[in-house]
Amino acid sequence: MSHALRVVAAEALKQHRRLFGQPLVLFSMLLWPLLTLAATYYTVLPVMESAAAPQRWPVAADPRRLLAFLAAGALAYTFFFSLVQSAWHFSFERVSGTLEALFLSPASRMALVIGNGAAALTQNAWLFGCFAVAAATAADVLDVAHPGMYVVAAVALLVPAVAWGAFLNSLLIFSRDSAFLYTLLDDPLWFVAGVRLPLFALPVWIKVVGLAFPLTSSLVVLRGALLDRADLGDLVVPLGWLALLTVGLFGGASALLRLGEARVQRTGGLQVF
Amino acid sequence: MSTGIVTTDLRKTFPVRRWQGWRRRPAAAPVPAVDGLSLRIPPGQVTGLLGLNGAGKTTTIRILSTLLRPSGGTVSVDGLDVVEHAREVRRRINVISGGERMVYDRLTARENLWYFGQLYDVPRARLRVRIGELLDLVGLTEAARLPVERYSRGMRQRLVIARGLINDPAYLLLDEPTLGLDAPIAHQLRALIAQLAADGVGVLLTSHYLAEVEQLCRHVYLIARGSLVAQGSPAQLAGQTVRRHTVRLVLAEADPSVTAALRALAVRHDAELTVDVDDEGRPRFALRHPEDLVGAVVTAVVQQGGAVAGLTVTPPTLEDAILALADPAAVAR
Ligand SMILES: Nc1ncnc2c1ncn2[C@@H]1O[C@H](COP(=O)(O)OP(=O)(O)OP(=O)(O)O)[C@@H](O)[C@H]1O
Ligand SMILES: [Mg+2]
Repeated sequence: MSHALRVVAAEALKQHRRLFGQPLVLFSMLLWPLLTLAATYYTVLPVMESAAAPQRWPVAADPRRLLAFLAAGALAYTFFFSLVQSAWHFSFERVSGTLEALFLSPASRMALVIGNGAAALTQNAWLFGCFAVAAATAADVLDVAHPGMYVVAAVALLVPAVAWGAFLNSLLIFSRDSAFLYTLLDDPLWFVAGVRLPLFALPVWIKVVGLAFPLTSSLVVLRGALLDRADLGDLVVPLGWLALLTVGLFGGASALLRLGEARVQRTGGLQVF
Repeated sequence: MSTGIVTTDLRKTFPVRRWQGWRRRPAAAPVPAVDGLSLRIPPGQVTGLLGLNGAGKTTTIRILSTLLRPSGGTVSVDGLDVVEHAREVRRRINVISGGERMVYDRLTARENLWYFGQLYDVPRARLRVRIGELLDLVGLTEAARLPVERYSRGMRQRLVIARGLINDPAYLLLDEPTLGLDAPIAHQLRALIAQLAADGVGVLLTSHYLAEVEQLCRHVYLIARGSLVAQGSPAQLAGQTVRRHTVRLVLAEADPSVTAALRALAVRHDAELTVDVDDEGRPRFALRHPEDLVGAVVTAVVQQGGAVAGLTVTPPTLEDAILALADPAAVAR
């Protein structure tokens, strides 16, 4: 077990060193979310000022609450998408030849993909920092039942995210179509997950699709716990579903790793000479 | 329990799919890359694996290192089956291949070695010492804190070598490790390989540099199209084929009396003679014989009043022997 922990830590550190300081990452993780947040806010605002909107969606009545709603969405989305990016980078290790060195080693493959996903957590530490500062300056927008709910919100965001990262890593390292998946998980993800619109505003079939992504339920918990004074009892359904998804994603990652490695051992597909 | 790496009747056939109409289907008869190989790589010595391009050397190494699963036959490393006990086998072996891949560009040499040390679960205290030793060994101590992307090719390859030694492997599989290295560094690497073997490591070496193989290997396996064609010490191997000098002669113009004299000479020495014409239509002779017959050939031509337009002599090499054993058809050409 301690070997697995060493691998998780080493992989997280390596991934951090590989990506940190890349201007592209800074752009996509800081400027881009802020920009889209601002764009969404000013797009949605005029619509919400019509008299009918607040009746269906009370949040719309108060621009500050609306902003908090969208900011929570941006935070969670940026966070989940950083794992997509991380996995995308991981898939390049196949081309650069280092993936072969990983498979040569006795390291647990699951520990590797978890570590790689965990690197995104540290990458995003500042993102949480910004969010925390913003939240502190606008403390009256937050509406929390009791302090324990902060922990619930954090766990509901972090744990499924790592599972999501592990799953994506497992998928992308054996796939030649990583660019396709990258695109697929970009715009459609924020749409189906209710990042910029409340879920009830979406048609049923999108809601169903959205449930398959942990981001959707993480966001429900995050907004409920931080903005709507929900306590554990109110959130039991999305939390339960998140737990199921997390287990499913880890299970899926483990299966993908096993099948993927068996396949490349048969076909020699790791070799990209 | 037998020590060493032992392969028994090893086979590997890659699944090949071809487009057939609108669908991709398995090819009717995929060609095996490794076809019934039985080898033994004992600890404490360097074993050579030779063969022409595509003979199956890299495939064999990838099977031994668990990157590929054999389609048939078995491999055991100190008695451990590579398929069943893959993880335990991975701890005991390592691979170094030419072409400076397998290290991270953005990390420094030290970080690379630290990272791989963690993957191999090298005990912490041991790892600290080991990284220093290895950097020293490959001469990267000075550059240890520079990111690898600023290294030259030779420096990168040296780091690849250090990476391959990070877990103190009991068996080291070398796939053309000196590829692209300049002479002094290749020389150092050969000394290092000899030292590792003397320290008890079992080394498998593939290389296209025959001098390297002759110098290092105690036992050599020669494979062609995935099967064993010969084995023995480098000297034995070279002795298994008739080593022949080849005298190639081009005459300025055709001359029946010269041709007759050369035919007589060939019969007298029991040498193999081929006669044809070169690109410019001049008669060309190739005479193959265990001894160097160039003196006799020139004398015969001059006595008949012929004019020599070109003359080359090729002495026998281990390379000839390998070519002759691995691909008899090519030598006859
Ligand atoms: N992943 C793969 N899929 C299909 N065929 C493969 C694959 N890898 C190797 N082969 C085939 O297997 C055979 C042996 O290849 P291998 O790389 O083992 O040769 P080699 O002896 O290492 O040659 P070289 O001296 O060029 O390195 C070749 O015919 C090659 O085309
Ligand atoms: Mg090869």
